[in-house]
Amino acid sequence: MTAPSGTVHPPRGGHVFPFSAIVGQDRMKLALVLNAIDPGIGGVLIRGEKGTAKSTAVRGLARVLPEIPTHVDCPFVCDPERPEEWCPQCRKGFTSPAVCHRPLHVVTLPLNATEDRVIGGLDFSGSLRRGKPVFQPGLLARAHRGILFIDEVNLLDDHLVDVILDAAASGENVVQREGTAFRHKTRFALVGTMNPEEGALRPQLLDRFGLCVEVLSETDPSCRVELMERRESFERDPTEFLRRFSGEEAQLAARIAGARRLLPHVRTGQHIRSFIGELATSHHVAGHRSDLVMERASRAHAAWEGRDRTEMDDVLAVAEMALTHRRRDAVPRPAHSPASSREAQESSFPENRAASEEPPDHREVSQERSSPSEALQGPEPHPDETFQQQAQEQVFGTGEAFPVKRIAPPLDRLVRRGSGRRTRTRTHHKHGRYIRFRSARTCRDPALDAMLRAAAPFQIRRRGESPMAVVIHPEDWREKVREKRIGSLILFLVDASGSMGVRGRMSASKGAVMSLLLDAYQKRDRVAMVTFRRREASVLLPPTPSIEIAGRLLDEMPVGGRTPLSSGLAAGYELLRQQMRKDPHLRPLAVLVTDGKCNVAMGEGNPMDETLKVAGSIGRDRRVRWIVVDTEEPGIVQFQLARTLASALGGLYFRIDSLRAADLVNIVKGHSP
Amino acid sequence: MKTRPHYPFVAIVGQEDMKTGLILAIINPTLSGVLIRGEKGTAKSTAVRGLAEILPSIEVVRDCPFQLAPHEPGSPCDGCARKACIGGNESKKSPETVFRKVAVVELPVGATEDRVVGTLDLEKALKEGEKHFEPGLLACAHRGILYVDEVNLLDDHVVDILLDSAAMGVNTVEREGVSFTHPARFVLVGTMNPEEGELRPQLLDRFGLCVTVNGSRDPHERVEVMERRIAFDENPSQFLEKWADPSLRLAEEIRRAIALYMSVSVPRERLFDIAARCLEAGVDGHRGDIIMLKAAKTLAAFRGRMEVSCEDVEEAARFVLPHRLRRQPLQDVIQDMRGFKEGK
Repeated sequence: MTAPSGTVHPPRGGHVFPFSAIVGQDRMKLALVLNAIDPGIGGVLIRGEKGTAKSTAVRGLARVLPEIPTHVDCPFVCDPERPEEWCPQCRKGFTSPAVCHRPLHVVTLPLNATEDRVIGGLDFSGSLRRGKPVFQPGLLARAHRGILFIDEVNLLDDHLVDVILDAAASGENVVQREGTAFRHKTRFALVGTMNPEEGALRPQLLDRFGLCVEVLSETDPSCRVELMERRESFERDPTEFLRRFSGEEAQLAARIAGARRLLPHVRTGQHIRSFIGELATSHHVAGHRSDLVMERASRAHAAWEGRDRTEMDDVLAVAEMALTHRRRDAVPRPAHSPASSREAQESSFPENRAASEEPPDHREVSQERSSPSEALQGPEPHPDETFQQQAQEQVFGTGEAFPVKRIAPPLDRLVRRGSGRRTRTRTHHKHGRYIRFRSARTCRDPALDAMLRAAAPFQIRRRGESPMAVVIHPEDWREKVREKRIGSLILFLVDASGSMGVRGRMSASKGAVMSLLLDAYQKRDRVAMVTFRRREASVLLPPTPSIEIAGRLLDEMPVGGRTPLSSGLAAGYELLRQQMRKDPHLRPLAVLVTDGKCNVAMGEGNPMDETLKVAGSIGRDRRVRWIVVDTEEPGIVQFQLARTLASALGGLYFRIDSLRAADLVNIVKGHSP
Repeated sequence: MKTRPHYPFVAIVGQEDMKTGLILAIINPTLSGVLIRGEKGTAKSTAVRGLAEILPSIEVVRDCPFQLAPHEPGSPCDGCARKACIGGNESKKSPETVFRKVAVVELPVGATEDRVVGTLDLEKALKEGEKHFEPGLLACAHRGILYVDEVNLLDDHVVDILLDSAAMGVNTVEREGVSFTHPARFVLVGTMNPEEGELRPQLLDRFGLCVTVNGSRDPHERVEVMERRIAFDENPSQFLEKWADPSLRLAEEIRRAIALYMSVSVPRERLFDIAARCLEAGVDGHRGDIIMLKAAKTLAAFRGRMEVSCEDVEEAARFVLPHRLRRQPLQDVIQDMRGFKEGK
């Protein structure tokens, strides 16, 4: 278990598709190369649809990285030229340790990683042998001076993300756990890939990535054919293919190495600096990181072009990569509506247009171009545009279109503030993934690895207490802390009475529900649906994780008849109560879509009075959070019944028109606690 | 060890798409697996087991926990707890090997992450005070078939890990104090019933091929299914004997196709066909193109042809495109390409 090279990509013996053989994707390649020249840029986030050579590029990059000097066998990759940062082992000798050269590492963080392997911890076997705590370096140590690669970074556990962010920010990994106190330098470029369809990334993490590029698939058939041919011949005979590209690979590696040597001599003029500052302010970015990143990236770009002076072109080549994910207003947006953020980009990049003097339809041509400075202004038509149009046709064919993606994030913020998108499960459930441990009095879900590490240093003293090699005392007990993405339960209580059918109100409601469903999909929520019409309420869909079925049922939902609102409320609440009995920790959300005009009672009394009474008693159960979406037509006479209902339920109230308005963000901010 | 005989693959009535899909994935493991969508009781697992039964045996190092072939590159022997064999180490004499059938490793729905990827070997740690890696299901499935029933009900992160290994051919473990890498190349076969919830598009895309199975609507076929099953249950050995010839023939065809695959050529026009189809269907990314090319080549090899034809591309599209059509999370998976085209 000693060889740390095991996790360094590429895996031993495997063949890796060469970086220079990747067809197209110039901006992504440029961003990666810039980080290879200067890891201080702070990494790159590669966003794009599946199957666009995101991971392939990063893995290929490892092969063209230059060698760096370090000490022989130093697990912390100490820099011989910085004695003040050396690890204890390197400092120990009277003479300087032997220096060797080895390629810059690309360390992959697998999705199954646990905390102790990321930051490092006690070395169990070593501690046993020596009878004192021995520190075992983790992935952060291995990534020092190199690249830390996280595939699907948006799926990574929040806690691990925090740990990595912390280390990346301070450039140092401080370990205070398991009786070891240790600190070591860790400066690395964070390279992450993500598919925005699968959920957004927290803004802090987004900002941590120096650059950000969007990748799209090629739309030109001959490019696609070229790509297939290369892949095909690679798989047919990898060795031969690598030989074919060895020239280009060597050239690329040499150019990177040359640029690295040149980098310290590159100067940035004052006018360039002020230009960078202006660019940053005119794009309303938060903080100063973008300026610093842009400055470093343009220097790296100048070095890449073989110049010792940064020019306007360098800045323009990197500006979009540094700004696109930092624009203040764009923070919650990129993952949800890249289409509209792209428009914003285009309109706010007059400099590029002017500089390039391209006709506005330059997008089609830009793909064939390889010059990085031109690649900047070539964002191809974004897939999500068509994507969105398709969705609108698909889902709301009968009614009017509804800006789904735009609406999802603010609603999301409103809805989840209490629950979070994942909940820590109790240890006795033993579900979910083991991410870290804590000391424990009882041992219901033992974290044996942590227990062994805790006991290891004392084994010499405890020897002979038992025939086992390791003696564990109760004070060594540790239990697992597990996390599981358990989304919450969302109940949709939809009024399907005749009054909802008029003037396309139903299709608008369906749109609202559908946008919430999409959000539920990203958060892995379960959904249930109850409708009420004619004389009674019916459970259309019992709680299920299958959002698809909910969507289909919603589409086919019949409308007509009178409005038994009170029985709808009762049926919905009954369903939630059953679920809460099964899982006492569940905090469900109920979305009531209605115009509030009820005209059927369960008992003898006035339907409206009865409804309010039912709502009042349901509202006393604070475990359920209610949202009432009012579908009443705006007009001179408004009954505002739904608003009364919302206050009886103790829930939030929205008009369907306000849901549709683009400035929902502000409305929600005003309402939410 | 004598186990219950498996129902022969060739005796399965109908379900041609599923059978072809499985055979393609076996011939060419780089197609990264088959997803079989369909209701219960449509001979999904019977087919997988039956197919494994007739595959050529593989040579493995005796008792190797990683199912390694002798002198396999990238072998994890350094960190392996078993010191008895020294597989992969050229300086010593060759390790002892055995021939055995291709394994079908089943992943239960309740499988936890540590059992899938492997974890710290507790016994070794407690008894000897040494840290060793205990291989998980991915190690068992190396060079075999990993069969995941109800893949849509599996925890998302377990599926992520599975597909990651399937794509990379290696399993990288960084957990519980162990850091380990070992080869994990397997044919991934997943089944799901769409009524119980869909897979995320991201995961769907990672499955190379996708077939939809339905119970037969033809009464004669249904009777045939019953008759064969009864005949098998009553006298398995006699039934196997009856089907021995077709089984042998299929095994031979598969062996030939594996040998032929490398030399199948693709005319440039066919590549353009593929690109055009993928563009027309609007698939995300380029994985669709690459898989379609491979599937077409594999089909040609299976049919004993040296060059990919139009029909091969046509047929490959049926397996490759349905689950890749650009779709939002909520859209349905298109079951039939013909229907898709008419709809356009």
